[in-house]
Amino acid sequence: MRVLVCGVGYRFLRDNAVGVWIIDTLAPQASNGVEFEDLGYHPVGFTQNLQERPPYDRIVFVGAVARERTPGAVTTYRYDHVLPDVTEIQERVADSVTGSISLDNLVIVAEAFKALPEDVWVVEIEPADETWGDGFSPEIEAGLPKIMETVWSLTKP
Amino acid sequence: MCFKNLPIEFDAQGNATLKPGAANPYSYTETPAPTPIEDDPERMRELFARNGAVRRVDFDPVTRVAGALAFHTVVDLENRQVMETASMATLFRGYEIILKGRDPRDAIFISSRACGVCGGVHATCSALACEMAFGIHPPPMGVVARNMLLGIEYLYDHPIHLSLLAGPDFSEPAIRETNPEIWERAEHTRAPGRATHGYEFMSELMTDLTPLTGKLYLEGLHYTRLAREAYVLIGGKYPHPQTVVPGGVSTTIDASDLNEIMLRVVKYFDYGRKTAAIWDDLADFFYEVNPKYQDIGTRPKSMIEPGQWDDPYAYDGTFKNCDDWGRKRWAPPGVIVDGELVTTSLQMLNAGVEEFVEHAFYEEWTGDGQNQRFPTDPAGNPLSPYHPWNKDTVPKPTATNWKEKYSWSTAPRWDRQAMETGAYSRIWAAAQTGAANFRDSDYMNSTGHSLEIHLPKADLPNTPIEWSIPETWGAFERNRARAYCILYTAAIAYDNLMMAYDLLRKGGPDAKMSTPYKIPKDHQIGVGLWSAGRGYLTHHMEMDKGVIENYQILTPSTWMASPKDPFGNPGPYEEAVLATPLLENYEKPEDFKGIDVLRAIRSFDPCMPCTTHMHTDDRTITREIISCACGAEGPHEH
Repeated sequence: MRVLVCGVGYRFLRDNAVGVWIIDTLAPQASNGVEFEDLGYHPVGFTQNLQERPPYDRIVFVGAVARERTPGAVTTYRYDHVLPDVTEIQERVADSVTGSISLDNLVIVAEAFKALPEDVWVVEIEPADETWGDGFSPEIEAGLPKIMETVWSLTKP
Repeated sequence: MCFKNLPIEFDAQGNATLKPGAANPYSYTETPAPTPIEDDPERMRELFARNGAVRRVDFDPVTRVAGALAFHTVVDLENRQVMETASMATLFRGYEIILKGRDPRDAIFISSRACGVCGGVHATCSALACEMAFGIHPPPMGVVARNMLLGIEYLYDHPIHLSLLAGPDFSEPAIRETNPEIWERAEHTRAPGRATHGYEFMSELMTDLTPLTGKLYLEGLHYTRLAREAYVLIGGKYPHPQTVVPGGVSTTIDASDLNEIMLRVVKYFDYGRKTAAIWDDLADFFYEVNPKYQDIGTRPKSMIEPGQWDDPYAYDGTFKNCDDWGRKRWAPPGVIVDGELVTTSLQMLNAGVEEFVEHAFYEEWTGDGQNQRFPTDPAGNPLSPYHPWNKDTVPKPTATNWKEKYSWSTAPRWDRQAMETGAYSRIWAAAQTGAANFRDSDYMNSTGHSLEIHLPKADLPNTPIEWSIPETWGAFERNRARAYCILYTAAIAYDNLMMAYDLLRKGGPDAKMSTPYKIPKDHQIGVGLWSAGRGYLTHHMEMDKGVIENYQILTPSTWMASPKDPFGNPGPYEEAVLATPLLENYEKPEDFKGIDVLRAIRSFDPCMPCTTHMHTDDRTITREIISCACGAEGPHEH
């Protein structure tokens, strides 16, 4: 089983960096079939890279997404492959090629260009602090073991 | 004499000096901005009594541009006129404040983050500013490597705009929705450039511009990939290169790297021909349908272009010699006022720049022109208190008010005139420079009214390519010129590739990638005079004791998204939309989509450098200072 775990976010923006931090931390444990990738680059580039690679059986996206939940909340779900309307997709592509990095953009753009496998999981973490700087808010810091465990468990068949 | 409005004159030797006699020569009297229509109830009543089709239309955000731009208009849908405009940069960047107190080399990596498209040009512009302050310059191969990076970056940038951002405005769905009569005509109009681009009818071409599914849209995406692949061979990463350093490039290049780059660059020869033919046909078709399309986005032919792609044997990093090395660039500097090239001097280009904040969310920093760190530049030319070297960035968020402050963009002006800048100012300045002054190149020559490009043959027939300075100026001509700039850029990238092979073959000190340096501990200033894909880019730096004292970034979209200036002149977007006729086909006001307004704005390729972070006094960053056009009439606080 080939699994790709992707960390999405911006470094040095506190909780926004949690996705890439998880990738950095778990990457040394990459084993046969499990790969980790920092997706601090734009979704169109990622989509094109995916189209060149042998297909993955599962892709796991992890990153901070602000949706007004309790800070530190971890939401894990299997992606349903439902796309927004064409106008929004087009705007997401424009955002992507002009440099915006976000988990939503990534999933929508990759899906729109049919680059994703059927089995896609998303692990969203509600950020408490996305200001400039290193380190995480106490809410995220306290939740890191659980987030790591959640992500790691998704690398298993 | 290039200045009409600034208090600068020239002596018999051509040296610039302040005009004598004025105690405060750069002072000015502010012209009050006109009262917004909505704030003038009597005028509103009168307009509505006369014409019920006057309405406010806000584009917030303007989509398919980079970053955060909102645009306010009042339109008269009956008379098909735009009556009022205001351009709002809705995010504060604050890099100038973030960089204070840092090692100047940090600017290369931090300023690169100002943009997700053109990070490399910011990095290079910072490196140029450092080189001037440090008193160093790269060996020839370091300059050539930078030139290749820049060229490749533009080969990423231009297809993005033409295929993904502006292109959809001319696609089948957009035309059918806004001007179905044009679609019908397109179905029966043969495309003059079919031998080059392969489309028999204009409608077929428009169909392939369709977002997400059109072949031209998808091809544009593909070409962004080729450019990125080439870029990382030298830059390590895109869009934020890791190898751009003061004094050159911190990587090595071998023949294999150059071959890999070559394989990709040559693919733009045919792609560029095809793209130029497509935008030729689009412009000419629309003009034929209705000559008023020439007025979409029109404004005076006034542009500013610092130039780029340094001559590896001329560039010495000094301000003193910048006129000389600037003119030897593949894209020479130029200031164009009402279509005339008024100067090619980088020193005069620099001396003419001022930034005003009467309608921007910043504090005036000069104390009415009294506080000025640098009365002159390093060559002794007069500088305004409003010049970037004298500027302090002091954010002052307030309620949005169209008459007072309404944008995070300052109002940059050259000789107190609004200027636009872009790929088109680059090719325009090159074309107008003329054969006598344009650098020698195997691949292009300037005629004074056009730029001829001679690329090696790829698959398409090697027909002559010539971009000519247009008689009219507007959205279609901006896009057409940008399309030709793919070829212009590919020619320069190829020229530099050939130089790189030659340097590699010869070896020796010229083939080194960078030069050693020490960071000076005394007071120094420097400036990067460069460009982004979208035009003018400068970084003005002041340093002391080894750290940055002041850092000012002036980007193309700051020039063009600018609000009104204290002299009552609108910024370029505002001016261009104000002159735009509404040619869209609508029966009821509710059907109005604003396609002509959007075509005008997007033709500038807006890039609102997209950070959401603001710096406060103690170097703490607070999140998102966003202003929203929808609340402009109320007590809308940030």
